[in-house]
Amino acid sequence: HYTHRIIEDPEWSLATVPHLTELCLQHIVHNFEKNPILDRLLPEHQRKVLDRLSTGLPLTVTANLISNEDYWKRCCTERWQVCDISNYGDSWKRMFFERHLENILKRFIPNTTDPNQVLELIPLCKDYVRKLEVDQFLPPVKVDQKEERDDLSDTGSEFGLSEVSVHHYDLGVLITALPHLEELHLTYGVKDCGMNFEWNLFNFTYQDCCNLAVAVKMCHNLKVFKLTRSKVDDDKTRLLVRNLLDHPCLVELNLSHNLIRDKGARAVGKLINRSRLEILDLCNNQICHLGAQALAQALAENSTLTSLNLRLNCVEDEGGEAIGRALLTNTTLKSIHLGSNNLSEPTATLFSQVLAQNTTLTSINFSCNHLGLDGGKQLLDGLADNKALTEFDLRLAEVGQETEYLIHQIVWANREAARLGSLQHPSTKPL
Amino acid sequence: REAFGEDAEPKVAEEEEEQRRSHKQIEESRQRLAKLLFDGTQMVTNIQVAADARETQRRAEEAELKLQRVEKLESEAKSSTYKFEEISSKWALAKEMTIPQELWQLLNQQQQQCALLLEEKNKLIGELQEELKNKDEQYVQAIKKQSDDIYLLLERMEEQIRIMLKTYRHKLLQIEKAFELERRELLDNNRKKWEEAIQAHNAQELEYVRARMRKVEEFEKQLNRLRVQDEEEYNSMKIQLETDVQNLERQLQQMKAIYQLNQEKLDYNLQVLKKQDEENTIIRSQQKRKLNRLHSLLNNLRTKLASQEKQFREENQSLAADCERIVGQCKEVQSRMRHFAVSDAEKFTEVWLMNEEEAKGLMRKALDADRIIHTQQLGLPWEEPRYWFLGNVGPLGHYKAKRMATKLAAEVLIVGSREGGKENTTKVEDRLTPLRNISKKTAKRILELVSDESGFLIESKLLRPLHELGRHERTLMKLDSIFAALKIDSEDDLYQLVDFFLKYKAQEVALPGGTWLLGRRRWWKAQRPACWPSLQSQGSPGGEDIMDPAEDREDGGSDAQRDETKSPRSSRGSLPSVCIHADDVLKILKAFARDFDKLREKDRPAKEVLQVQDSSKDGEYWEALAHVIPEPTLKLWDALMVALEEYYEVLKRRASLLAEAAVLQQQNSELYLLLEEYVSSGVNNKLLSPPTQWMDLSLSCPGEAQ
Repeated sequence: HYTHRIIEDPEWSLATVPHLTELCLQHIVHNFEKNPILDRLLPEHQRKVLDRLSTGLPLTVTANLISNEDYWKRCCTERWQVCDISNYGDSWKRMFFERHLENILKRFIPNTTDPNQVLELIPLCKDYVRKLEVDQFLPPVKVDQKEERDDLSDTGSEFGLSEVSVHHYDLGVLITALPHLEELHLTYGVKDCGMNFEWNLFNFTYQDCCNLAVAVKMCHNLKVFKLTRSKVDDDKTRLLVRNLLDHPCLVELNLSHNLIRDKGARAVGKLINRSRLEILDLCNNQICHLGAQALAQALAENSTLTSLNLRLNCVEDEGGEAIGRALLTNTTLKSIHLGSNNLSEPTATLFSQVLAQNTTLTSINFSCNHLGLDGGKQLLDGLADNKALTEFDLRLAEVGQETEYLIHQIVWANREAARLGSLQHPSTKPL
Repeated sequence: REAFGEDAEPKVAEEEEEQRRSHKQIEESRQRLAKLLFDGTQMVTNIQVAADARETQRRAEEAELKLQRVEKLESEAKSSTYKFEEISSKWALAKEMTIPQELWQLLNQQQQQCALLLEEKNKLIGELQEELKNKDEQYVQAIKKQSDDIYLLLERMEEQIRIMLKTYRHKLLQIEKAFELERRELLDNNRKKWEEAIQAHNAQELEYVRARMRKVEEFEKQLNRLRVQDEEEYNSMKIQLETDVQNLERQLQQMKAIYQLNQEKLDYNLQVLKKQDEENTIIRSQQKRKLNRLHSLLNNLRTKLASQEKQFREENQSLAADCERIVGQCKEVQSRMRHFAVSDAEKFTEVWLMNEEEAKGLMRKALDADRIIHTQQLGLPWEEPRYWFLGNVGPLGHYKAKRMATKLAAEVLIVGSREGGKENTTKVEDRLTPLRNISKKTAKRILELVSDESGFLIESKLLRPLHELGRHERTLMKLDSIFAALKIDSEDDLYQLVDFFLKYKAQEVALPGGTWLLGRRRWWKAQRPACWPSLQSQGSPGGEDIMDPAEDREDGGSDAQRDETKSPRSSRGSLPSVCIHADDVLKILKAFARDFDKLREKDRPAKEVLQVQDSSKDGEYWEALAHVIPEPTLKLWDALMVALEEYYEVLKRRASLLAEAAVLQQQNSELYLLLEEYVSSGVNNKLLSPPTQWMDLSLSCPGEAQ
């Protein structure tokens, strides 16, 4: 019989007949959605099944069952072109779920989108999401604008002016349900609105702020909180700070590109000493000398903060001097950014003293101020004995080229010394 | 690059002193790259800084413009309000106008002014709108500028990346080259070294080979020489050994002969021994049989012995029981005997006393009779005879009961107190004999000391009433209770106590401290046999002493005894009558209490033995009692009796005569009575001369006359 076959079909061979196991695996792959079998398979079979599984399987099946990175890598790469896994702790699965959740949140339209869309996802992704980076929150839309709803850029165009409730999606339910959430980057605004620009598209309401503050307070593992470009004013800052006081984990707070004035700055100053904040970014706000003084006062007593950014404010000399005085006693701050703050010679004078005394400060930025030639010389004098400073930005500070060059030389030498020190320190250990 | 640099760095640290070319290269490259990186970043960030600067400038300008605008608006508002007021004031003026032309003119004027005002306002609005437009344009420009900046930024970044890549590659290549060069150099060096070493090695090897050859030749020569030598030695040795072999063979032969001889001898011996062995076996069997027999005999004897032992044990037991019983009986008999002895003694004493009384009564009667005879009959002066037995009461040899210790003490004390007055010294001296050899002074002192110091022995109940008594009585009472506590009740005990004190003192003087007791005991043992009999025998003269000290001296026997006692006394009298310290009293008392019991127990058997009475003097005594009246007296009495009998006869006669006389007297008296009766009767009175007057009635009765 065989011979017959062979004669009839010279290309036929037993090898082309797939193994039974192969067939079974095939079957498992095809029916994975209905009957997911994975844990009970042998490791090599598991691998085969995972290699063949479709990326389009519903998350309810795959989320908590599959932990294989290769599968999630396929999912990610199929869905997004750019995938930088280093931002997600080198975990494809985490990346997939975080970006998936972010996408859903970005497209969430209050009162129209079904909130269950988010809620259903919570049990699937709560173990994997550690960071949420949402740079767009859509405002609610009126009923008669339904036809424009699918087009995201069109939302809330002409009728935005009306007095309808303009609150955004309340993150409270979601955030409190994510136990591993450590980073939260939020921007209340609309991207790519183009010619459909309306002011009220960017309206971060007080109610929104309330919701957010309560949610953040409940989120005990949160380490990094960024709320940028969201028109956060003094009242909202105070509300946020009130809820963030004595937060057990919060290490970094970024409120840049907002509308914070002196009162808000004072509230933040209070927060500095009632939390474990290490990095504080208040760049591009409207903090004047009073706010800077409040911050300086907090800084003088503080022993956790390592980095402070006040770029693009207008603290002026009064605020600059206050901060300089605080730095005479502070021994933890390593980096301070006072660029574009309308500072001038008195601040430079005080900071030359700071440079002579302080040994922890490694980075100072005075760019875009009017320190003047004398101020530059004083800074140079102060820097003469300093061995800690490794970065000193004096671009566009009107200090004169020669001074800038000399300062640069000193800083460069310090940096070399620091590099050698850091090299020797670990190299002594293996010896 | 950083990673690479860091990789290279540990090498530098390891061989820093060498400062190899590659490391120099690395360092140089690293610095250049860092510079490049810094410059690049600077260039990229320059854009941001420039934007910031622009922004600040813009903000400043904006603020200024805003101020200007506000000012302008305010001035505009002021002027316009002024104008508006002007216009409105003219409206009031218009109401007063009555002439239409004027009114029209005014209205025109007003209209013109209003138009002017409006125009101004419109102008302002236009200006502002223009400004807004400008701002819009500026905004567009700014956006454009920003996008340009961003493009620039991107461009620079890309350029930077490109440059960096290029330089990194270049530097990497250079570093690699440097490393290769270094490696090649190293290799060359090493190869050179290696070759040199190989050459040296070869030369050395050759040398070694040559040396070896030389040595081989040398050794061969030596070997040859040695071989020849050894051969010679071998030959000589061989000859010697052969001779040795011959000798040894000869010896072997001899030995063989000896061996033969010995073998025969031994065979013979063997035969003999075998026979002996047989004999021995026979003897052994005999002995064995004998042994068995003896064994059975031994067993029999053993059983016999056992039975006998048993028997004897039983016998022994029964005998022991008997003995015990007999001992019991004996004890009983003894006790009974003692009892009987005591009762006998009592009875004896009683009988003695009764007899003595009787005898004494008789004696007294005899003596009385003697006295009466002497005094009344003979008219001689009678002198009462003084015999030793007269005063005796109770059986002879029966010691006077010991005086109670307290009594003795009392006596001593009394004596002591009296002594101060120095009266009756001799008597006191004699009286003190109960305390034998101890001076009364010392005794008194001791007793007082004891009474003072051992108050604790006195019952507290007793102490209170003591205070009321005098010193003497108090001491006595105290002593009494102390003696009760110490169980001192006889004279001897007291004596011992006092003696003990003195001896203690003496011992303490002689032997200081702890050896005292031992010495004292030894002393006691030595002294007792000598001193006790004398003490005991002193009892009877002691008893007489109390009655009559004078007679004591007359008694020769007692005198002799006295002399005996005197010698120890003199010796002991020399014991220092030192004052005993009050603190020592307690110690002494303690020692005494300890020893006292022992002493007393030892005394007891001695006392019993000594209580055997001697009846040798009893006969004498009684004889003496019987012969209380001496022989001459008796003879006197006989003569007297004869005389008296004669006298008696006379008297008898006289008596009869007297009786006759009495009868006569009686008759006489009867007659007299009758006569008196007659006289006293009335007849007499009637008579002229009554017989009574002439009758001598004063006749005395004959009885009275006698």
